[in-house]
Order: sequence, then C-alpha cells, then structure tokens
Amino acid sequence: MTLRKDHKVAAGKLIRVRIEVEQARALEVRVGGDFFAHPEDAFEEAEASLSGTGLAALPAAAAAAFSRPGLVIFGAGAADIAEALRRAIDENQAP
Amino acid sequence: MRIRLLDTGPSAGALNMGIDEAVLLSVSRGESPPSLRFYGWKPSCITVGYFQSMQEEVDLGACRHRGIDAVRRITGGGAVFHQAEITYSIVLPAGRGLACDDILESYRGICGALVLGLARLGIESAFSPINDITSGGRKVSGNAQTRKQGCLLQHGTVLLDLDLDLMFSLLKVPAEKLKGRLIEDAKARVVSLRDLLGRPVGFEEARSALASGFAAVLAGSGDELEEGELSGSELAEGRIIASERFSSLAWNLRR
Repeated sequence: MTLRKDHKVAAGKLIRVRIEVEQARALEVRVGGDFFAHPEDAFEEAEASLSGTGLAALPAAAAAAFSRPGLVIFGAGAADIAEALRRAIDENQAP
Repeated sequence: MRIRLLDTGPSAGALNMGIDEAVLLSVSRGESPPSLRFYGWKPSCITVGYFQSMQEEVDLGACRHRGIDAVRRITGGGAVFHQAEITYSIVLPAGRGLACDDILESYRGICGALVLGLARLGIESAFSPINDITSGGRKVSGNAQTRKQGCLLQHGTVLLDLDLDLMFSLLKVPAEKLKGRLIEDAKARVVSLRDLLGRPVGFEEARSALASGFAAVLAGSGDELEEGELSGSELAEGRIIASERFSSLAWNLRR
C-alpha cells in the first residue's frame, strides 16, 4: 500500500510525501518537494533512516531524523515533514 | 580574484546541467578559475528540483510530443520551464565573498548582482527570500544553489518572455479543471522582462546588463570579471556527465 500526501508549508514550500507500507511499517519513505536541503546527501540519509519504522512512530522519527546536526533545510522544517507524514497516515486511518 | 565570464549560448538541457557540474568540478580541482556563465536552452526544457519527482511534476508525454527536454537538476527548488529566458550559473570556492558560509546571505548577495543588473535595464526589483527576485511583487527570476567539492554552484533564470499556456500544458496540475485558474494565478505572480519594459529584451542585452551587475558586486569583494572560454576538458567532461547522468532515466526518474 502507498500513502501519499501533499502539504504546503505556511510561507514555505510544498512537501510531497510517499510512504510504501507493509504490515504497519514504512518500507520506504520519500520526502519530495521544491524545498532546498544542504547538503543534499544528509537529507537523503535522514530519509533512508526511516525505512522499517512503524507507522505510529514515523512522524516523531522523521522530526528527529531531519533535525540532525549539519542538515539545513530551507522552505520547510523537520516539523513540517513530520506533519506531512502524520497527515498521510491519519487520512488513511480515517473512517 | 579573477572570475571567468563565459557565454556558451543555447544547448540542450542535459548538456547545460553537465557543463554546470563540469565547471564546478574543474574549479574544485583548481584547473579552472571561478566562473560566471550565461546560457540558453535549445530545445526548450523543463528542469525539476533535486528533491522533486519528475513523474509527479511533469507530463513527460506532452514534453516528448512537443520536443521539449526534461532534466532533473542537482539543485533543489521547483520545476522550471526554460524557454524564453536567460540563465546564469556561478561557481565560486565556498567560504568567502558571495559564497559565504551563510547560505541565505549568499543567495542575497548573488541575487543582489541580478537586481543591480536588472536596474541597468531600468527595472526595479528586489531579492525575495528564499530564492526569488520580484518586481512589483511578481517573480521575474528564480535561483537555486548547491555546495559540493568545496564550491558553491548557483544557477538561476531571468524571464525574457513567458508562455504560461505552454508551460502548464507540460506540468502536471492537481486537476485539469484547475488549470485555467492556475494559469490566471501564475499571470498575477510571474512577470517577464518583456512585460516589465513593454518591449522584447534579447539574450545579448540581458546578458550584458546582468554581467555588469555581477561585475559591480564582485568588485566589492576585490574580484574582477574577465571574459574567457570553456576549456576543452570542461566541455568533454560536461558531455560525459550529460550523457551518463542527465540523459539517464535512472537519474531523472530516481525520486
């Protein structure tokens, strides 16, 4: 199953998340959009570190992963990415 | 410090991105001086930002049908339709002057050179963080920066003219019925030099004005702009990077 959500950051950029889910775990997480991240590799390492995370823990894990020292994101913040993931998960669980 | 001024004219999107990276690598190895390059696009091209998904952003079938290239950049930011515009790229050793460690300040400094260049054309504009330049509240230039191998690379565009109907026929929009409204919104948010001056502005005129803006700003940090040429090895490396990376589906469709 694939969960998707677009989340426009207030006065910022668009975050587009995609979560490949199997048995309530994120097999793969993609955090895309028109933001800037420096260095780009550090952003992708943070993204990759989320693979295997349980869905319930994913937003908090993302907030921590994208706050890692040395990673600077312009146009979105770690909390915005966590919020996009939370919304993707919540919308799927809505009745 | 001497900054090499290049005008490589129009090229295909993959080669343009390959040359930008080849210049960065050459500067980082100390083989070429820091450089400011102006260029165009032939054929027209859509580029998407490093973190964007080409398939989510671009109607690749429509691009193929119209003979328009689609390439993913090494810089972040959004999708750009490169048609009637002038594009620049600047490569500088990181850590001083316009390539200061504070990334937003370096955007401000480099965009300041563009603002000065636009003023030489009689256009009042301002840097609009994070990465835009606006005139009368409308975007006339978008810019994107990365830092690799100890160097800053920033490239960006200034719109000479604008065909929003064509642009939106190439970009994926949330729903077809919203396309008309998106075009109207974009008309209110984006502006070209032709719109601002009420006359067409050619590549050469824009290049001369923008180079003059850069020369003035670079002089402030003791740097001097000097006309030069792309070296044979830079062009060769640019072609290899264009072929192996920017023309490959593995790169363009990776995200």
